[in-house]
Amino acid sequence: MDLFLMTAVTGLMVGSIYALVALGWVLIYKCSGVLNLAMGEMTLIGAYISLSFYSMGVPFLLSLLFSLIIGFVLGILTERIFLDKLIGKPVLTVIMVTVGLSFFFKGTVELIWGTDTRVFTPPVFSLEPIRLGPLYIGEVYLWSFVAAIILLIIFVSFFKYTRWGLAMQATADDEMAALSLGVSARFVYAAAWAIAFMAAGVGGTMLGNINGLNISVGYLGLLVLPAVVLGGLNSVPGAIVGGLIIGLLQNFSGAYLDRYFPGGIKEIAPFVFMVVFLLFKPHGLWGWERIERV
Amino acid sequence: MSTTWLPCGDYHQNYQQDHAWFQTKFIKGKMILLFLILFIGLPLISDSYMLSVWNIVGFTILGALGVQLLIGFCGQLTLGHAAFIAVGAYTSTLLILEFPWPQFMLDWGIAYPISIIIAAVVAGIWSVLFGLPSARVKGFYLILTTMAAQFITVDFVLTQYVSQIGGRGQAFSLPPGTIKYGPWVIDNEIKIYYMMLVLVILCTVLMANLLRSRAGRAWIAIRDNDISAEVMGINVVKYKLLAFFVAGFLGGIAGAFWISSLAAISPEHFPWFLSLWLVGVILIGGVGSIHGAIFGSIFMVVIMEALQLAVMPLADTFPKLLMDFLFIKEAAFGLAICAFMIFEPNGLAYRWWQIKNYFNLWPFSY
Repeated sequence: MDLFLMTAVTGLMVGSIYALVALGWVLIYKCSGVLNLAMGEMTLIGAYISLSFYSMGVPFLLSLLFSLIIGFVLGILTERIFLDKLIGKPVLTVIMVTVGLSFFFKGTVELIWGTDTRVFTPPVFSLEPIRLGPLYIGEVYLWSFVAAIILLIIFVSFFKYTRWGLAMQATADDEMAALSLGVSARFVYAAAWAIAFMAAGVGGTMLGNINGLNISVGYLGLLVLPAVVLGGLNSVPGAIVGGLIIGLLQNFSGAYLDRYFPGGIKEIAPFVFMVVFLLFKPHGLWGWERIERV
Repeated sequence: MSTTWLPCGDYHQNYQQDHAWFQTKFIKGKMILLFLILFIGLPLISDSYMLSVWNIVGFTILGALGVQLLIGFCGQLTLGHAAFIAVGAYTSTLLILEFPWPQFMLDWGIAYPISIIIAAVVAGIWSVLFGLPSARVKGFYLILTTMAAQFITVDFVLTQYVSQIGGRGQAFSLPPGTIKYGPWVIDNEIKIYYMMLVLVILCTVLMANLLRSRAGRAWIAIRDNDISAEVMGINVVKYKLLAFFVAGFLGGIAGAFWISSLAAISPEHFPWFLSLWLVGVILIGGVGSIHGAIFGSIFMVVIMEALQLAVMPLADTFPKLLMDFLFIKEAAFGLAICAFMIFEPNGLAYRWWQIKNYFNLWPFSY
């Protein structure tokens, strides 16, 4: 029973990181219709930036803040340089540009930071697990969870209560109507990419704190794709729930199925589950079912 | 209608003329010339290194044809084609290494040709398995299921289980002399080159012929609008799965061919990068044309080799550069895709078509 509870709690906490990154993904999709396959590399970039600042002796929170600021700038640059010219192009074109971007990001990251695993030294979070009733939880997981929840709340309140957030919501809901009411589409697209980059940076930093930072963290970033698909591509609550489900699924399969399928079942389980799930619910949990006409 | 020059305009009087392989004597002559260059000219002027580059081009063409069929002709986006190439390569290798071939078959040297065919069929069936979701899902969701094919096949099944067969651990190496056609042992670049040439021509003709048939027209109808295709009485699911089968079949041939060039095969030879690379190749070459797959392969492979050659002399002064080349290549490939998508979305095949049209219509370009 303890194993079950521990797995569930750890899964939820890792899942909250996925939820955060997935939120960024859904935001880009809702606002600009871009299906972004570069999300994994975006988490990588944010993580490496905060790691660089941290190794230079900057306090952790401050380096996280720097990575947020740089992520903001990079997001706007990416949108302006690459995606801006692709509005109205076919889906495959846009997807492949994000694939190209992911190669570009990955190559650049490897060029600058190398491929060796790097850890945050000195460790940001103490390695001693924290005791919560009958459970022992790593401090990293707890703080990641807290950070993810705080950021999720900040993002959601940003969308609900600020002028910019409302403009973005309006564009996501009905682009034509929003444009005719004077919302600047270019601004909304850029803001979506900036926010996604920031969310990915925080997610990547947290993931990097768990097991050290190398290219495979980018692969963990790819796990947001099953997460958003489970939730339905265009639903913000769906992204959060999907992220949590993927986290749980990953940890449970690691804990219980590893015995029967030794090896990498932990990494594969989300994808297997997603394929089977899509066979029954082709639009995810809360995705819009578009009625197609000839 | 002139039998030598293609007239300016469409003067076909019946269906056979419209779909003829060689529309005019000039085109026939051109093709014969091309074959002469490929079979005699290129091997004469190429050294071993250049031949190995051509072999990589051939492998890329074989892989890209399947991707082109799925994306360019059937409209099914796929990002997991390396999985099917891997299945082909592993099936062929395992058949050669583990299957108890009767001695006379080994003597006649038909083990490898048979294993290619079986590998292609197995890869095709594997591909259909992962194409099944295409019956219900489309677009981005389909991309994710094909991605899942890549991770499940290469990172899980092949790495964890298939690699354990025979207790070899990570890589399978093929002993020299096992890859042979009849009396010919495929053991140097020139023999691999001829084998590649024959396979590429066979596969290209197979695909071109399929596209001229009922199946090909059905695929194109599904690509253009699957709902209207269904309304017209095309069994959409059947033809989608057929497309997946043929694409996997071609991928299997590519994989089974590739083991002749590799000393040992391991899952690292079929990373996700290869899947994305193949999609990038057809996008740069041009979506929806066989020329596109061929041009894209030649362009990308040759450009990357040229980049490598350009980096080599610099390596003496900057030793780190050689190590970093892999990353530079990756970044350059990414930027190339972005640039092509933004500035040349129709690909190289479109330019080729424009040049051809210019000469067809010359001197009166109306």
